[in-house]
Amino acid sequence: MDFDFSPLVESWQYLLGGLGITALLSFTTAVSSIAVGLAVGLVRLYGPTWLRWLLVFYIDSMRAIPVLVVLVWVYFAVPILTGLSFEPFWAALFALTVHLAAYVAEIFRAGVESIRPGQSRAGLALGMSRRQIIQQILLPQAIVRMLPAFGSFLSVTIKDTAIAAVIAVPELMRRAETIAGQSYRPVEVFTTTMVIYFLILFPVTRVVDSFYRRVAHLGRS
Amino acid sequence: MNLDWSIVWQSRGALLEGVLLTILLTILTMLIAIPGGILLALMRLSRSSILAGASTSFVELFRNLPLILVVYWAFYVMPVLLGIELSPFTTGLVALCLNVSAYNSETFRSGINSIRKGQMEAGVALGMSRAQAMRQIIFPQAWRRVLPVLASAWVSLFKDTSLVSVIAVGELAHTALQIRSQSFRVLEMLTAMAVIYWLLGYPQAKLVDWIYRKFGITE
Repeated sequence: MDFDFSPLVESWQYLLGGLGITALLSFTTAVSSIAVGLAVGLVRLYGPTWLRWLLVFYIDSMRAIPVLVVLVWVYFAVPILTGLSFEPFWAALFALTVHLAAYVAEIFRAGVESIRPGQSRAGLALGMSRRQIIQQILLPQAIVRMLPAFGSFLSVTIKDTAIAAVIAVPELMRRAETIAGQSYRPVEVFTTTMVIYFLILFPVTRVVDSFYRRVAHLGRS
Repeated sequence: MNLDWSIVWQSRGALLEGVLLTILLTILTMLIAIPGGILLALMRLSRSSILAGASTSFVELFRNLPLILVVYWAFYVMPVLLGIELSPFTTGLVALCLNVSAYNSETFRSGINSIRKGQMEAGVALGMSRAQAMRQIIFPQAWRRVLPVLASAWVSLFKDTSLVSVIAVGELAHTALQIRSQSFRVLEMLTAMAVIYWLLGYPQAKLVDWIYRKFGITE
């Protein structure tokens, strides 16, 4: 077995560009999923009944359908339905957000439901409104408790962007495939790509964990 | 826009085969990844630092890699490293097992750790060996706590089997995508694929919720 890393050396800028797109896609997906997911989670818990049912249906459907299926559906089927076509990047951002927002909404619900019901009752007994209870009692504690789950959410997001390679988003995974295919050096290329992904993902979970240990006391009740 | 949904009915045989392969892949992976996860968890909790280190490295590696990359790696790199040719199905199975075993091991480890240390000590004080105490005291209690998490892992795995379609394993996603490119009925086939996954996955997701309610620990 002889290894030849020259294809990687020659196209390191190309691969680095892919890493940049992975980072950009992960960041934008995380931000939009958190925004949408928190809104969905809030309405799912406190909204009107019919809307609650609808959102539960949406969340459970996203738990049932693979990300890959959502990605190819958004990229290939939505243009046929609407006549609008998107760049792969935007299609991936949209599809991943649709998928991951449901995940965030569940994290949010678990966080809020972990606060003992006695606290809401205490708020009511003190004459607070439902809105005040949510804003001043539940959310401040729930958000701290959600932090560890957001750590794994972040790592899931980065890992899911690799699936966007199947709709030709030129991120790290896709570019690795391209280089591997052109150079006939899949062993070196895929192994290096593994190392790169690991070096990104491992610290993400570690940093979030250590950050949480510092703020965990704020979530105690 | 002209749609022709008859393509879905015409391809029912192939789609059914895809569904069966998806289910088979899920079952086989879990059958391997549960003992695999228990083994890794026991290695990590053992007093041998070599075993613990090996298990930790394995688990941390595969938890921190995108599954799709592991699938590609298993397809292109593993045959070269090990010098054996595997079929796409076996390759996909190996990739899924590596991933799910790593996650399961964390599930078992936290399940075992959730049983207070005093119980193991009580067992040892009564003259049981560590292995006996593990089997007769810790496992029966940990099992209940582990089950809901395993059920979630099952549903994730069911969805993740779609990723082995990239190495041409003929499960549901690959079958549907193939028919799409042969028939050019893109919208119909992609929608059919999504609906079939939904029909299979939705009841499983609901079952997981039920298991959580029944076995979940409330403090």
